Amino acid sequence: MVAGPARTPPSKAVHYGKLRNAPWRGLFYVHTMPVLSDMKPAESRTAAFIGQALRKTYITGETEVHALRGVDLEIYAGEVLVLLGPSGSGKSTLLNIVGGLDRPTAGQLWYEDADLTAMDDATLTRFRRANIGFIFQFYNLIPSLTAEENVRLVTDISDDPMPAAEALELVGLGERRQHFPAQLSGGEQQRVAVARAIAKRPGVLLCDEPTGALDSVTGVKVLETLADANRELGTTLILITHNAGIAAMADRVFNFLDGQIASIEVNAHRVSASGLVW
Amino acid sequence: MRSLDLKLTRDLWRMRGQALAIAVVIGAAMATFVMAMGVHRSLTQTRDAYYDRNQFADIFVNLSRAPRSIVDRVAALDGVAAAEGRIEQYATLELPGRIEPTRAIINSVRDGGASKLNRLVLLRGRGPVSDKAGEVVIDKAFAEANGIELGSRLDAVIYGRRSTLEVVGIGLAPDYIWSIAPGELVPDASRFGIFWMGEKSLQAISGRTGAINALSLKMERGASEQEIIRRVDAITGQYGGTGAVGREDQLSDAFLTSELDQLEAMTKVIPPIFLLVSTFLVYVVLGRMIRTEREEIGLLKAFGYSNFAVGWHYLKFAFAIAMLGILLGSALGWWMGRSMTEQYAEYYRFPFLYYRVSASVFSSGSALALGSAAIGALGGVRTAVALTPAVAMAPPPPPIYHAGLVERLGHKAGLSTVSNMIVRHIARWPARSAVTVSGVALSLGLLFAVLQFIDGSRAMLDNYFFRAQRQDITVSFIEPRNEKILTELASMPGVIRVEPSRAVPVMLRHGPRSKRVAIEAADRDNRLTARVDANGFEVPLPTAGLMLSLPLARQLDLSPGDLVDVRLLGGRQIETTMTVASTIDELIGTRAYAPSATLDRLTRDAAPVGSAQLLIDPAYRNELITDLADMPVVLGITERDTAMGLFQQIIDENIMSMMGFYISFASAIAVGVVYNSARILFSERAHELATLRVLGYFRSEVGIVLLGEVALLVVLAVPVGCLTGYWLAQLMVTMFSSDLFRLPFAPERSSYGIAIVVILVAAAATALIVARRVARLDMVRVLKARD
Repeated sequence: MVAGPARTPPSKAVHYGKLRNAPWRGLFYVHTMPVLSDMKPAESRTAAFIGQALRKTYITGETEVHALRGVDLEIYAGEVLVLLGPSGSGKSTLLNIVGGLDRPTAGQLWYEDADLTAMDDATLTRFRRANIGFIFQFYNLIPSLTAEENVRLVTDISDDPMPAAEALELVGLGERRQHFPAQLSGGEQQRVAVARAIAKRPGVLLCDEPTGALDSVTGVKVLETLADANRELGTTLILITHNAGIAAMADRVFNFLDGQIASIEVNAHRVSASGLVW
Repeated sequence: MRSLDLKLTRDLWRMRGQALAIAVVIGAAMATFVMAMGVHRSLTQTRDAYYDRNQFADIFVNLSRAPRSIVDRVAALDGVAAAEGRIEQYATLELPGRIEPTRAIINSVRDGGASKLNRLVLLRGRGPVSDKAGEVVIDKAFAEANGIELGSRLDAVIYGRRSTLEVVGIGLAPDYIWSIAPGELVPDASRFGIFWMGEKSLQAISGRTGAINALSLKMERGASEQEIIRRVDAITGQYGGTGAVGREDQLSDAFLTSELDQLEAMTKVIPPIFLLVSTFLVYVVLGRMIRTEREEIGLLKAFGYSNFAVGWHYLKFAFAIAMLGILLGSALGWWMGRSMTEQYAEYYRFPFLYYRVSASVFSSGSALALGSAAIGALGGVRTAVALTPAVAMAPPPPPIYHAGLVERLGHKAGLSTVSNMIVRHIARWPARSAVTVSGVALSLGLLFAVLQFIDGSRAMLDNYFFRAQRQDITVSFIEPRNEKILTELASMPGVIRVEPSRAVPVMLRHGPRSKRVAIEAADRDNRLTARVDANGFEVPLPTAGLMLSLPLARQLDLSPGDLVDVRLLGGRQIETTMTVASTIDELIGTRAYAPSATLDRLTRDAAPVGSAQLLIDPAYRNELITDLADMPVVLGITERDTAMGLFQQIIDENIMSMMGFYISFASAIAVGVVYNSARILFSERAHELATLRVLGYFRSEVGIVLLGEVALLVVLAVPVGCLTGYWLAQLMVTMFSSDLFRLPFAPERSSYGIAIVVILVAAAATALIVARRVARLDMVRVLKARD
């Protein structure tokens, strides 16, 4: 079953650039956030992203690769969404498009009231800068910068960031903030990447296989940190994984197959990250 | 094609930009080497062949007047193979429509232009018939410069007598490959000609029947030049011999040799700079290539390729680049050498000038280029050879960074996060950063050193013409005159001031060292000429004793206070001892000075005026020149402004050709270095740059990370380059100095400026080309891969 596509952009317009001023985007607004158990049914919640007939075709040499074949979707603000599926099923392509790293070949994608597909490179950059936090499988830390400086890379260019040291405290690395990436373990590096992503209080966190290079104990720690950010900052969390076990922590799961969303699962009861096993 | 070679060609194609940038630097080395060596060898071979075919003499001596029989006495000396006497007679020519004085030196030849030594080469026409009055052969350059054809008639004043000369031939001779009118500083083919006239008719015109005033001789193989000179001087002394000299003091040969020495110096200074830079570049580029191909190397070795095969593969990569440079440079160098040879043909008069670059020039240049590439490749190849498959196939350990000293200081200065990335990356790769800095510094230094050359020439011009020479006209006389001539000149209309000057040829001897020079006499109250040192300061004449130019004092190992033996040459053979009173650091020539009174006491003659300096009213210039030219005692009239103009023209011509050439070559280094360092930086940091883009950095901001490092290194290179240039210019000044002149180290501040601007522009343009890649950065693809 596919979520019904919105035919028009949401009428209640909130400019994506103003999002950072929304009152719920403060750091510790835990008490104002809806708790999981009393979340409203999906239909009545605000959509962060609305996508219509998204297609992405890569041309490599003489062959065309259809990475996305007409995807309609709605991603709700503040939800934890897991994209599951085999390699090449289109989930990374979708994540890149949602994150403003790539553009669809056809179709439209709105974030709040902004049409991402109409943005030029500079506007997309501004969109990423204001709204998106990225976490990758291979951390992508700058090796020549310490943990704190890696976080500062983002806080330097954000309007209302939390202090870098504070972001590192949040991921439990306050003590190691002067260390260079080469001096940190894989899990620690990934937590620095998480700190870097959440320090600017993004509206959306996009994680591409964030635990792919980690053992399960370390992986769980990272996922806990992400879940904390989702809960405490109200950040929409979109996670790509090969690992079906992780799907248990999601509000919803999109199952990808052949460039399409084959099915959507809604978890009635989310399992906390610490309870995950794989 | 073997698969490794296939990989090699594809690697080369993939890295074509970088490979080409290195090849251009190697090409520049090869081109300068081929050009300088090619021209040097071509000129040397041409000269040797010319000397050989035309029996260029080994020893030369000028006399006042000697009987012809002296030739046989000299020819009979041990070690003398052949001797020949001739008359050399100056003439003043009257060319229609020209006020400026034009002179020629007429050499006597036997019937039909024949001679034993210094044989005339007839290019057109025929030789003069010995007893046919007025028939002359004239030199090609003079004929061309003045549009004189065979059969033309020229009015001349010879030995105070007016006569008409008929041009029957146009030719050249090996003793006048380079020539200059006496008293002049700059050759001017239009105003000074070399003529050859039949012996009998020249004897008749110059009143020297049965006599000669010049003698040249050829030595037998293995004979001692010094010994023969000593004996020749003993014979010619009583006939006013001014001292025999070997080829090294023969004007034409001395200038040619000095030019060849400069070319040789050029091959020693300039190609090594380019080769050094290319070695650096190969080192850096191949080092980076081997680091990125680490896993492939492991794989190759795992498949069974030997260490040798892998090492040779990468060495071939360096050789392939070098070969490209060799090809480019050989072609360019050959072409540049040809145009340079053509330029030489304007100043040096050869009957033939073969431009041939021998295979050995190409092969030695290629060997040098391949050698430097191999040295550059050595480090990388050794790494590739030493890698074991297991180690190579595992990812390399992550680079370790440290917060260094610069940064702790920077922290206090509030360095941004991006600045930290830049500074730490430089510190992480010190060798590569040093290569960038030194490469850019060398290009700046080279350009500066060349610009300094032009400044030096200008300074010499200023020093000589503005500070040392203040007269408008120098008048030289056929023979030294007494002081009455000064009164006569002073009474001519338009003459404001007259000062006498005189030069007496002497042999200076100090212990085993001796040198033939002219002592120039001056009065302490002279105002029209001054002795100016290299720094432009006027140095007063001593009240008594000699003042020697510094190079002369060094050659004779003399310092102020020392005594030197002086023997007058020509006329009376007076020997005496004089005190060296002072020295002067002069730019031109090896000269000696003395107060007039001192020199008069030495010569004990009553004809102290050899030439006169005039300060004139410009309004009377034409009239005055015509009047002077009509005076029978006047040999030559030199105008300071004309000489200065000619000198200026030579400098300007050089500037045009040298500037374009060296600006492009020095820029080639800067471009090669900056391009490669920016490309390596880009490939190394592509991952980080893409990460920054993902994090929301704009292209321009990401560009700063890339360009910032290059810019910082280039900026660091500027002071280093200025120091390098300062040092290199000093080296070049020393290497290019000769007995004849010495270029001062006198850089204009603008030369530093021009060099800096040219290099910065070249570096900036190159870096921007690489920075365009930031725009094409594929964030998605780069981030999917592990760094």
